[in-house]
Amino acid sequence: MNKTLKHIILTLFAGFMLVNCDNFVEEVEVVDPVAEDSDDFEPVDFLTGVYGMHTDFSYAFSYLGMTDMISDNSDKGSSPTDTGTDKRELDNLNHTTSSVSVRAMWTQWYKTIGRARQAIELTELYEGPTSAPKERIIAEAKFLRALNYFWLVRSFGDVPIQSVDLVERAPVEEVYAYIEQDLTEAIADLPLKNDYASSDIGRATKGSAQGLLAKVYLYQGKWQQAADMANNLITSNQYDLEPDYATIWRESTENGPESVFEIQARGEIPQHGVQQYSQTQGARGPSGWGWGFNSPSQNLEDAFNAEGDAIRRDATIIFAGETLWDGRVVSTSVENPRYSEKAYSSANAGQSDGDKNIRVLRFAEILLIRAEALNELGQSAAALTPLNRVRSRVNLPAITTTDQAQLRRAIWKERRLELAMEHDRWFDLIRTGQAKEAMAADGKTFIEGKHELFPIPNDQLVQTPSMRQNPGW
Amino acid sequence: MKCKISFLLFLGLFSFSLSAQETKTITGTITDTRNVPLPGAELKVVDKDTYTVTDFDGNFSLEASVGDQIRITYLGFQSQTFSVTNDDVYTLALQDQTSELDEVVVVGYGNQKRSDITGAIVSVDSEEITKQPATTAIQSVQGKVAGVNIIANDAPGSTPTVLMRGLGTAEGGRSPLYIVDGQPLSDIRSINPNDIESIDFLKGASYANIYGIRAANGVILITTKRGKSGKPVFSFESYYGAKTILNQVKMANADQYIQYFNEESAANDGFLLQENQRYDTDWYDELLQTGLINNNSFSVSGASDNIDYFLSYNLFEEKGILDGQKFRRGTIRSNNTYHLFNDNFRIIQNLNIAYTNETPKPFGAFSSAYRQSPLVPVRYDNGLFGQSFVNEATGIVTFESEPGQRVGRLNTHANPVSQVFFEDTYINTTSLQGQIAAELDITDDLMLTTRFAATKFYSTNHSFSDIRAQWLNADPRRSEATFDTERDDPNGDGIVSTEFANNSYSVSRTESYRWNVEGFLTYTKEIDKHNISATVGLSRENYQGGEFTSSQGYDVRPERNLRNFNLRTDRLFDDSVGGDTFQSTNLQSYFGRVEYNYDSRYYLRAVLRRDGTSDFVTGDDNFFGYFPAFSLGWTLTNESFMEDNGVLDNFKLFAGWGKLGNQAIPFNVQSINSGDGSRNTNYVFGPAQSLIIGAALGTPAIPLSWEVTEEFEVGFDFAMLNRRLSGTIDYYNRLNTNAILNVRPILNSEFSSNFFDEAAEISNSGFEFLVNWRDQIGSDFSYNIGVNFSTNENRVQNVKPAYDGAIGGSLGNGRITKRLAEGQPIFAWWMYEADGVWQTQEEIDNNTSLGNARPGHLRYVDQNEDGVIDDRDKKYFGSYIPTYNYGVNIGANYKSFDLSVSGFGVGGNKVYNGLYNTRIGGENISAEQFNKRWTGPGSTNVNPGAERDVEASSYYLEDGSYFRINNITLGYTLPELSNFINSARVYVTLQNPFMFTKYTGFTPELNQNGDPTGTTGIELSAYPNTRSFILGANFKL
Repeated sequence: MNKTLKHIILTLFAGFMLVNCDNFVEEVEVVDPVAEDSDDFEPVDFLTGVYGMHTDFSYAFSYLGMTDMISDNSDKGSSPTDTGTDKRELDNLNHTTSSVSVRAMWTQWYKTIGRARQAIELTELYEGPTSAPKERIIAEAKFLRALNYFWLVRSFGDVPIQSVDLVERAPVEEVYAYIEQDLTEAIADLPLKNDYASSDIGRATKGSAQGLLAKVYLYQGKWQQAADMANNLITSNQYDLEPDYATIWRESTENGPESVFEIQARGEIPQHGVQQYSQTQGARGPSGWGWGFNSPSQNLEDAFNAEGDAIRRDATIIFAGETLWDGRVVSTSVENPRYSEKAYSSANAGQSDGDKNIRVLRFAEILLIRAEALNELGQSAAALTPLNRVRSRVNLPAITTTDQAQLRRAIWKERRLELAMEHDRWFDLIRTGQAKEAMAADGKTFIEGKHELFPIPNDQLVQTPSMRQNPGW
Repeated sequence: MKCKISFLLFLGLFSFSLSAQETKTITGTITDTRNVPLPGAELKVVDKDTYTVTDFDGNFSLEASVGDQIRITYLGFQSQTFSVTNDDVYTLALQDQTSELDEVVVVGYGNQKRSDITGAIVSVDSEEITKQPATTAIQSVQGKVAGVNIIANDAPGSTPTVLMRGLGTAEGGRSPLYIVDGQPLSDIRSINPNDIESIDFLKGASYANIYGIRAANGVILITTKRGKSGKPVFSFESYYGAKTILNQVKMANADQYIQYFNEESAANDGFLLQENQRYDTDWYDELLQTGLINNNSFSVSGASDNIDYFLSYNLFEEKGILDGQKFRRGTIRSNNTYHLFNDNFRIIQNLNIAYTNETPKPFGAFSSAYRQSPLVPVRYDNGLFGQSFVNEATGIVTFESEPGQRVGRLNTHANPVSQVFFEDTYINTTSLQGQIAAELDITDDLMLTTRFAATKFYSTNHSFSDIRAQWLNADPRRSEATFDTERDDPNGDGIVSTEFANNSYSVSRTESYRWNVEGFLTYTKEIDKHNISATVGLSRENYQGGEFTSSQGYDVRPERNLRNFNLRTDRLFDDSVGGDTFQSTNLQSYFGRVEYNYDSRYYLRAVLRRDGTSDFVTGDDNFFGYFPAFSLGWTLTNESFMEDNGVLDNFKLFAGWGKLGNQAIPFNVQSINSGDGSRNTNYVFGPAQSLIIGAALGTPAIPLSWEVTEEFEVGFDFAMLNRRLSGTIDYYNRLNTNAILNVRPILNSEFSSNFFDEAAEISNSGFEFLVNWRDQIGSDFSYNIGVNFSTNENRVQNVKPAYDGAIGGSLGNGRITKRLAEGQPIFAWWMYEADGVWQTQEEIDNNTSLGNARPGHLRYVDQNEDGVIDDRDKKYFGSYIPTYNYGVNIGANYKSFDLSVSGFGVGGNKVYNGLYNTRIGGENISAEQFNKRWTGPGSTNVNPGAERDVEASSYYLEDGSYFRINNITLGYTLPELSNFINSARVYVTLQNPFMFTKYTGFTPELNQNGDPTGTTGIELSAYPNTRSFILGANFKL
């Protein structure tokens, strides 16, 4: 073997040894895929993310199906062939366990609850200085969590409490107890509406939590607590009725004296609001600006007319051929006879991001909660004061009856007309037991023992087969 | 090899010294062992330039001197050398090389004799590959390898999808690992099929497992050609062909369309079309042209004392069936082996340069041609492209209208001809592959091999979009003046939308590289009847690294050679640049293998691979995995009791087990969702409702590991009746033990983004049969018949609770067609079961129907009988994956003629006619669908009417089985042309002349990209199969 060959062999062996170690694999820098430790965010950012959940498209479509279209207040609307996926089914009470709207809201509410939990936990764990008091951030998140649990429990009955178990449905009482605890803690830590800095307009306030808690008590028939909690808000001197009912859903009254809690929306660029809320409910066809869904029903129009309630009727309903308050002319040949005026955005009519703040709770409802609770407590005379305060704004004669049953009916009717198209009617019908009768009057068949609750979405049951379905579904 | 070369060397010297001898003429006959003469066998006087070729009867005559060594070579036979003596007449019989038992099979880090293989390995040689001209060699072997499902795509420059023994992963990489001469390859298109000597498919785990963490989808080993001893061979191969669409669907004509449209429109109270309109466009005729394919190859190879050489050049060009669609590839390969120090030391060098030029065209044009109305012209009289405008008042398809008349659209689809016209993209790639290896015989038994190989890849994509022309063509009522006004910033806000740029031009460049270095020792020893071979080695590899840059600008000059960001007509718009670098992956591997047999009767084989990859470094050292494999074999025919059994020439049982990895898996990354603009992490606060940017946590990252597949196989090889009948029959069962699924969080859980988790098992099992029959009748006629058949049962099992139910197969209209569920094939079809057509409203009212059912709509079965049609009534309908594949290959030779016919088919699969199903309204339909549609009560209870819903249902799911004759070749080998041209063969090939299928669309062979979650198996924008007619000639000098 000559010298060259030896040299070559040695070189080869050297090469052989070179490849002989494991750490070659570690030479590549690997990025840790866990992002939680990022320094770029502070707790309040995650709270903003909870509020932001309420701007999703589901509040502009699925939510309308589950709250309004299903009720006697409104119809699916739009063109006859456009089913709006399951909106026609909801309108006709033909919805099923796989109705996408039901699934969408079930998911939406739980994801929001999840974000609220994250915001609370991240705030509790955060060690640096925060731009807002930690207690307030946590209280706001708790209010939002309570709001979403309330929407869940009134829609589905027993529901799992996310942080406890995803499969086991907690009884309604436990869910309400959870909501009440969140709200009670929130009330303690939330500032009064007028104590917030102006840059914080739109946040949940002590009044928001009180108002929601009053409503939560009302739903449970805890009349005394409902009346008291409503009274706490009424006497806090933070709220009053808007003088002109016609303006209560317009931009001019956003976050005004009547506002207890509303979902915020900005119409100027950069725009941000509930996605397509004004568009889905906008007039459809010539001169139209939207899809024409959630059309107020003949039944609702009749109810206004029967009461002689032209002010609220005309503030609630856009009629085909009408000239709107801002001068917009709605053609007589639009696809549907009626559209929701409360969803109408003057500046951003058919845009995806409208300027429409959705009024979740407003002072008039708090007055009606107090009226209803007092009447149920037998204090019918006292109930008349808040009730007639609402009526007098729209020039309706004062109710004088102190007959508990009659007054109860009157208050329920007042709720319908005052809060029409404000996404509450269906649950009032269920809560007050009027659903079967009212839906029959609207030509729909309400099946008792089934339609009181929405079905647990089929997709959820596919994932968690041992979860109970609601009766009748 | 080693001995042979040194022998020749010695002889060469010897003969040189004797070269002064007198010459004489010797004659004789060359035959095979059965005394059949061999025409065209080459005889060459060693170390002289004298040679000859036998004639038809195997006779030769040659000038030679006594003592000359004459070497006889003939393809398919072992070469032989004899010495010239004083005799003048020689009759010699060549040994058949078809004793495929001695054939060498490449098994990864070494070779094994075919007779020693104890597993399912299928080898395909160069002849079979070049017989079926295609861009890639893999497409050429479609239907030839049992258990390997190759789904071809006839688009120029496309790569076929390869599924070896079924699809075993849902979200991971699906490609097999390609290894070319020991070098991993990223893109099979860079290899010229003419350069390939053989392809070995390592199907079974016990062989594939030597490639460890990347072997789960099978390993394909490609060996390229090298020079062979003998005189230099110059080879020219050339073919030219024409391509047309194989299976064109006849669409409804204008009158039929009008009737269909009006029936649909009337049902929806829409406007009606007027009869007898001006245009009757057949969009497929307008869109399609005859494609062309052209290939020229040249190679020179040979071997001298110290060096083997092979040099080739190839130019492949293909024009597709869409106007302007082209793919061109050039390759240059140089493979040399240097034999040094008495051939104890060899240096092997391979170099391959491949460059491609491609002008792709949008496949969406195929869908548009299906859907666009025949009433729309290709171009209007003013030269602009026709669009689906219709005057709703008159019902005439035109954009023109009187005041007060509404101009609407028949449908939302594009003009397919304009889609192709406006697509202006060209892609250039260059791939440089180099390898240097050294083999050193340390002792007679011990060999050291080291290799270094590197690949560099460049790709440039130029894309030009004539925005102005497209804007004008989109609506013929638009004017240049409006466009110019828009460019002048009419609202004065200083912003002009790029919608009004004259054009946009983007250039992106990708550069990537990979390299591997490996070394291994091979020890081979025969001791008495014990044969042992052992290999141990290690390798390092770095791949996936690279970078990407892109830039986009507007208003460049339109001329192709002046498109340049510096030469602009206007500077209204900002450029954008982007870029990224790809983190490379480091792979570190150790492997060892022991092969032992006793007397060629009992075989034992064990392999262990240890792989570590930087993709899985998560702190501790869990990034290494072990992949063991074992196999056993027993050759019964080598037992004394089987000797002279008279039936079986060879019978070997084998069984193997091994573990394989798939590291090409998706990763979880937890992100914080945040960003500006209108999104659900942001909110507005304050008196001015200022937009506040918020954040939300994404789904937490679950750490994942590579997928591990365990495979078991058992089978036997046999040869009988004098080896005329041979084959392999085996059973395999492979299980991906930790298949990664894309999991949707539980609906009522905290997080909303999907994540990946190891969540299920995916099993693939089946039988594979490969049987060949070959025979010779008389001296002029020989033939062979090869049949292969394989089955595959694909199942998802043991899915983690709540992880079931991932959906896929989106039709792009909100409807999905596939779902992953336990007990079903992976992403099985899942949809409503269609059961007839609603005839009357009364029928609908009295039965369970979908919410919007109307007469003429399909009826769907209420599977759970709950009176409602919803997701729970959707049913599983099998899979797009065939449950069996088969191929038939017939060859025959008669005198100088050779004929081969091959065909293959699949069955047990279903394909979805997405083109037929996905209608929004106003689309065209096929003539057949028009003729058989529902037209009123009692007309049909099978096919829906013109007014129908868009639900995905079993009605559109069709039998996907087909049988395709994919090649008929007739060749003629010319008698000796001259002393210069040694052999010449001319041939004519028909590719895909016939396809037998019940499918009503264009092609049931729906590749897409093979992604089970996507539109694989659904006909939407699919490139149709083509039929080719090819003329070719090969010459050898």
